[in-house]
Amino acid sequence: MNPLAALFALLIFPGGLSLLAAGLVYEWVDRKLLAGLHNRVGPRWFQPLADALKLLVKEEVVPEGVNQALFIGLPLVALAGALSAAVYVPLAGLAPVHSFPGDLIVVLYLLSLLTLGMGLAGTNTLDRFSLIGATRTLTQVFSYEAPFLMALLGAAVVAGSLSVSEICAYAGEHWLILTQPLGFVVALIGLMGKLEMPPFDAPEAHTEIVAGALTEYSGRGLAFFHLGRSVELVVGLTLVAAVYLGGLSSPVWFAVKTLALLLVMVGLQALLARLRIDQTVGLWWRYGALLVLVQWLVLILIQRS
Amino acid sequence: MNTTPNVWQEVMRGMKTWARLNSPWVLHFNTGSCNGCDIEILATLTPRYDLERLGVRLQASPRHADILLCTGAVTRQARDRLVRIYAQMHEPKCVVAIGSCALSGGVFQGCYNVLGGIEDVLPVDAYIPGCPPRPEAVIDGVVKLLDGLRARGRQGKADSQ
Repeated sequence: MNPLAALFALLIFPGGLSLLAAGLVYEWVDRKLLAGLHNRVGPRWFQPLADALKLLVKEEVVPEGVNQALFIGLPLVALAGALSAAVYVPLAGLAPVHSFPGDLIVVLYLLSLLTLGMGLAGTNTLDRFSLIGATRTLTQVFSYEAPFLMALLGAAVVAGSLSVSEICAYAGEHWLILTQPLGFVVALIGLMGKLEMPPFDAPEAHTEIVAGALTEYSGRGLAFFHLGRSVELVVGLTLVAAVYLGGLSSPVWFAVKTLALLLVMVGLQALLARLRIDQTVGLWWRYGALLVLVQWLVLILIQRS
Repeated sequence: MNTTPNVWQEVMRGMKTWARLNSPWVLHFNTGSCNGCDIEILATLTPRYDLERLGVRLQASPRHADILLCTGAVTRQARDRLVRIYAQMHEPKCVVAIGSCALSGGVFQGCYNVLGGIEDVLPVDAYIPGCPPRPEAVIDGVVKLLDGLRARGRQGKADSQ
């Protein structure tokens, strides 16, 4: 790949600008569909853009008692992690820009950077609400991350490879949602946990702990965390859609698939009330992990025979 | 700076004003209200009136909010908290006084423990009268505040930094 094409892929399409735009659009779709289920009008189409711009031009204050470098650097790391994860996933149903054996693991770790960044940002400040939020964020990472990873590893086992592009090639011939329904459910709900969507929004519970780990953030830092979350929504949906819903395909058909997944997630958000943090951990380790292990058992038995 | 702004600065200022007008996040603080106005604010935020269509979101942290919605007369106990919350909000910020008591002290005016309306403590940008104001009145107040901010943005005053 020549340097110009690499730069274009990183900054314009499919990474960088178009990814940010897609993130804002998906965030709007998420909020609008949720508003529809709440029986209200919902935000206008440019709402996420206006929110992001407003936060970017708002005053940023570094509170007392924080490590300045971390306070300013963590939002950048979080956004950069989410953006660079996009290089390895088949955005818009096209083949991933870059691929190497084992990039599935790298993608999952890059996607975790946002959550880890939020956790560290919360522990960095002196505020008690940030600290509680950060504790909950990090507890939640340890509950959903392993079942989510194990669910996607189920796909890697049948494809015989840890590379996203090879899994996509395999998934193009077999719809894994039919052969691994349990893994699909765990992966989709794991994505909701990753994005701290309503049943799993204890870390940022507005009615309990102000705004969780991001309580002290405003302006640029908050904008970067929000943008990172939007980008992660797109990347996560892309990953789950590509692995479970038939691999690479035309961009329009792929957008339909990701939006269908988003619709399911929105429905669950509107349907379910917030889980306590201990219930979240219990749900993932008692049921999520168990479901994936059952899935693995079936896969291994079938592969042996 | 006394130099005339060039086109680029004009465009940037326009974008800033547009973003700020279309994404007013509010923080709700009860300075000593009887809760009547608070219930009306909550009613305004419910699906029936749906302020999210104007971009309004209720924020729990003063750091995230742009507009401080104050209800009730300012009591001596609440004064320090009110000033502190205002100080914790980041520029640019606005204050809206909601309800008769927040405007003037209302029926609590002259009480031993009441300082008066919000304007005795903080600079207020919009007043919404009523006891309590209906959700329509709150929405009208928000829209008038945004109109005022738009006019200020045109004159270039909104951007103090």
